[in-house]
Amino acid sequence: MTDHTVPAADDAFAADLLRGHTDTIVLGVLRRGERYGFEIYKTIRDATGGRYEIKEATLYATYRRLERDGLAESYWGDETQGGRRKYYRITDAGRSVYHRNVTAWVATRTIIDSLLETSD
Amino acid sequence: MAIDNIHRLLDEAFAGIPSTPEVQDLKEEMRSNLIARVAELEAGGSTPQDAAHRAIRELGDIHALVEAESIATAQPAVRPSAELLHARYRVRPKPAFVVRVTVAAAIGAAALVFGVVLGSGATAAEPVAALGMAGLLSTAVFWIVADSLQQETTTNHPMPQPRAAGYGLGAGVTVLGLGLTALIVIGAIPVWVAFVPALLVAGAAVLFAFLGATQTNRHKAWVREIQRSQVVANHFDHDPASAARFGIYSAAIWTTALVAFIVLGLTVGWWWALLAFPAALVVMFVTLARMLFPAKR
Repeated sequence: MTDHTVPAADDAFAADLLRGHTDTIVLGVLRRGERYGFEIYKTIRDATGGRYEIKEATLYATYRRLERDGLAESYWGDETQGGRRKYYRITDAGRSVYHRNVTAWVATRTIIDSLLETSD
Repeated sequence: MAIDNIHRLLDEAFAGIPSTPEVQDLKEEMRSNLIARVAELEAGGSTPQDAAHRAIRELGDIHALVEAESIATAQPAVRPSAELLHARYRVRPKPAFVVRVTVAAAIGAAALVFGVVLGSGATAAEPVAALGMAGLLSTAVFWIVADSLQQETTTNHPMPQPRAAGYGLGAGVTVLGLGLTALIVIGAIPVWVAFVPALLVAGAAVLFAFLGATQTNRHKAWVREIQRSQVVANHFDHDPASAARFGIYSAAIWTTALVAFIVLGLTVGWWWALLAFPAALVVMFVTLARMLFPAKR
């Protein structure tokens, strides 16, 4: 569903802003348990009511970056039917970075909110 | 069948991309995710044909992704030294943490001194006070360990609170066990009570083994970068199964030590029975060394 009162330009801005937080968003999903790629994609899509879909290519790049930096670990499941699934789990380092990023985001949001309100 | 379509479309999308292990890995991961997405689209009423095409289209440009990956994993020409990186990412200790640990250390040291003085005294009330001092000392150790592990360092992210508390508990309980043993050695409490410190130390060993086996990465990205360029022969990192095996061995070693302690205590005497614990410690460290650094074939 699209919110028709919001012009297209604002949608593009929001998507840009969101893209900068992809790593933190994925870490936030993994914090609640081990997931494989499609589950992560679906969790993010459903959490936003379908308004925001992270491009899957972006997600694959994110998983690899998180793994390289040691923020997430992956392992192959042992499914007998269909393709074997690659699961991701958050590490202690990932939890720590997640908390730090959320704190940074809350601080930034507060500043932006106050700046935007004063310019009204 | 939509699944057959997926396999065909995926092969087409990967056409012309050199098949390295990384690319194969990515392709297999995409395959299982595509199958799940197709199943979802079909449940929503799409025809198998449409579902397969749509799922593939949603993937985006695979060539661009693979290229971005190979650029990101390519080694930089000049690598900054570990010392330089260490200096760049230096984390300063927090003053409040330094104060907390200093106070805890002072309390612990005072408890140790008073505990020894009280324990070596002869009056009836003093062993109880000495026990209290052992409790105070182990609490101080718990505090120092748990608080320290939660601190961010230059090379490591802070440890989550429950895990840090777990290590602190293990250390505190070990110190309590050793304190009780010391009180037994100086004669403040009877020798037969030795099963209590034995249980405490054995429990702490099992806790440490569990924490060690389930520990996940805390290294910062720059440290991992350096580790990748060096070969570190830590067997447990490559083989989590042997880390778990070590945990089970530790539990077995300490259970055996406890049984040996009781049997020796009832047969040859409690003083000789105490030897079971240093022996178990030696066996555990030899096992650890052999498992961490296996002999080359």
